[in-house]
Amino acid sequence: MGRSKAHYWFVGPAILLMLLLLIAPVVVAAALSMTDYSLGNSGFNWIGWENYEKLFTRRSYSKMFTASLTYVLLVVPISVALGLGSALLISSLRIGGELYKAIFFLPVMATLLAMAIVWEFALNPIVGVVNDILRSGCDKSVIYGFLSGSWLGYDPLESWYGSACEKKFPLWLGDRKYALGTIAFIGIWQAFGFNMVLYLAGLTSVPRELYQAAQMDGADSAWERFKLVTWPMLGPTHVFVITISSIRSFQVFDTVEALTEGGPSKSTYVMIYAMFEKGVRQNLLGMGSAITIVFLIFVLILTLVQVYFVNRKVHY
Amino acid sequence: MASIALSRVTKSYGGQSVINGVDLDIHDGEFLTLVGPSGCGKSTTLRIIAGLETQTAGDVSIDGSLVNETRPSLRDLAMVFQSYALYPHLTVRQNLITPLRLRDLNFWERFPLLGHLVPSRRAKMAQIEKEVQLVSETLKIEPLLARKPGQLSGGQRQRVALGRAMVRNPAAFLMDEPLSNLDASLRVHMRAELSALHKKLKTTFVYVTHDQAEALTMSDRIAVMMDGDLLQLGSPEEVYQNPQDIRVAEFIGSPKMNILPGYCDELGNITCAGFSLDGTLEIPSPGPVSVGFRPEHLTLTEPNADQSLAGKLTYKENLGSDVFFHITQEGIEGSIIIRAQPLISTPQQPGDIIHCTPVPGKPLVFGPDGQRLDFKALAQSGTSS
Repeated sequence: MGRSKAHYWFVGPAILLMLLLLIAPVVVAAALSMTDYSLGNSGFNWIGWENYEKLFTRRSYSKMFTASLTYVLLVVPISVALGLGSALLISSLRIGGELYKAIFFLPVMATLLAMAIVWEFALNPIVGVVNDILRSGCDKSVIYGFLSGSWLGYDPLESWYGSACEKKFPLWLGDRKYALGTIAFIGIWQAFGFNMVLYLAGLTSVPRELYQAAQMDGADSAWERFKLVTWPMLGPTHVFVITISSIRSFQVFDTVEALTEGGPSKSTYVMIYAMFEKGVRQNLLGMGSAITIVFLIFVLILTLVQVYFVNRKVHY
Repeated sequence: MASIALSRVTKSYGGQSVINGVDLDIHDGEFLTLVGPSGCGKSTTLRIIAGLETQTAGDVSIDGSLVNETRPSLRDLAMVFQSYALYPHLTVRQNLITPLRLRDLNFWERFPLLGHLVPSRRAKMAQIEKEVQLVSETLKIEPLLARKPGQLSGGQRQRVALGRAMVRNPAAFLMDEPLSNLDASLRVHMRAELSALHKKLKTTFVYVTHDQAEALTMSDRIAVMMDGDLLQLGSPEEVYQNPQDIRVAEFIGSPKMNILPGYCDELGNITCAGFSLDGTLEIPSPGPVSVGFRPEHLTLTEPNADQSLAGKLTYKENLGSDVFFHITQEGIEGSIIIRAQPLISTPQQPGDIIHCTPVPGKPLVFGPDGQRLDFKALAQSGTSS
């Protein structure tokens, strides 16, 4: 029997497409990140690690990393915890669960860009509904007393609400102190419905008999059963939800682009926005590519952590 | 060690009744089997005893005290589930420790990390370890203690599930079809082991199964349930030989009992499938009746024998130790099964007409409502009608 070459024909197209569509762009980006190429230029110079050097030394890029990491660290834990909490509550409902699911899932289905415009109006410091509501509480003694802590005997002017009533309410997106937090809030608002759906799916796969066994074994409180059964049985779901949420939060772009454009003073200058600004707006493809490569490495690390450390511990 | 009593327990789901007033007294130290086809309410009954489900009406008491409002963990019962329900993320040792830990350690001693600082914890954990060791020796699962359930075979998981039930020294064991996920040979083996375990522990076992062979081989008493009713409660011999209801007669025994249509006359004499039975009903109930013959209570005879039942052999089932003849007779639905020794069975071929007679005194007669009628066989003097 002669050695057939048929196997090359079977795997060839797949490998070719993979190289062309997946590997090649990354290699090109990696190569570009070592140059000072701009779109439209006839040539470029190899500048070695200069772009990377800038990335890790310049202040604006360190602000970029801070913004991205802070965003991820705010959005991931809170949206995962809210997602799990709401999934547990919804699955314990006898009626109305479907309605809650639909409501919480609405932000996921809506276009974030369109929603961002709504948020922009709502958060407008002068005419926005958020500050309107906050302001309307200032002259109602019940609300004022509760929110400013003067009920508990604290000086109302010392509290956030009290002093804001006295002076003015935050600019939210226009204030360096609040902008990233506000963007993160919108991110959480948008992401937790998705996490909730994933957790609901995870919860249905927990066998009923395990809860009954736990009950027989003496896990009387819901908290004990949660610790003994629900939490560990959701292991694979946790890993998936956390990884997906982290990657999606690293990728945040549309709210930043629509609401703050990276400002004020680069407090919301997240990685994808920086990529967009450098690579597209300022036509510094080399720099944009360098950020892309660093971004890819971040995502790769997340994925590797998932595959090598966590997956082994959660699949029993 | 405990006795369990159910009195007039009913359960319905949204108007659909699944248990219709079951009265059941389970004695201390007894091996009682609830047996019946799937959907008969036996598992629900067990869950009601366990406290995992609440009865719609009626009382459950354990050792004389009412437990209707008692939560499962305080009823001091242990349950073995069909799926074993082992905690998959814990090792076998941790699985065995869990019920003890939840029962014996208080909130602070169980607290993650900080719990280790509570002084009383150490002594209690040592005691728990000792009990786990003891149980794993009894069940011979010591080599498995460090593994996780996913790394065990079905039989090993079964043992661990038993172990988790045993460590607590419960007042009674509740078992919900524990052997049905095992392969046939292991199931037979575990049957013997469970019986031995019951003799050793001398604890009350309540065992649910749909497999009548399991019920017959292991139990002290069998409770046959069907359609939410408890039809008969008695020792395996009694339930097999003296079924009080035609449904019990058909369910217990393998192959199934042959039920033939018969007719009772004014004097209580019964004719069936072309011959008359050698006995009469104590209280004649003229009209149609059903006559049941177990396969082993029919014997092959010569064609010319008096009072024989003839039929065409359709299928010969050779099990090695026994041979079952399936014969059909015109006017009778289904086939009649006769059990015979392999030695006498050799010559017949499918298609042949063969003859058999019932063993005297063995036929069971049921009335049109399915209730057993008192059939009195004639004295064994050999006088046939």
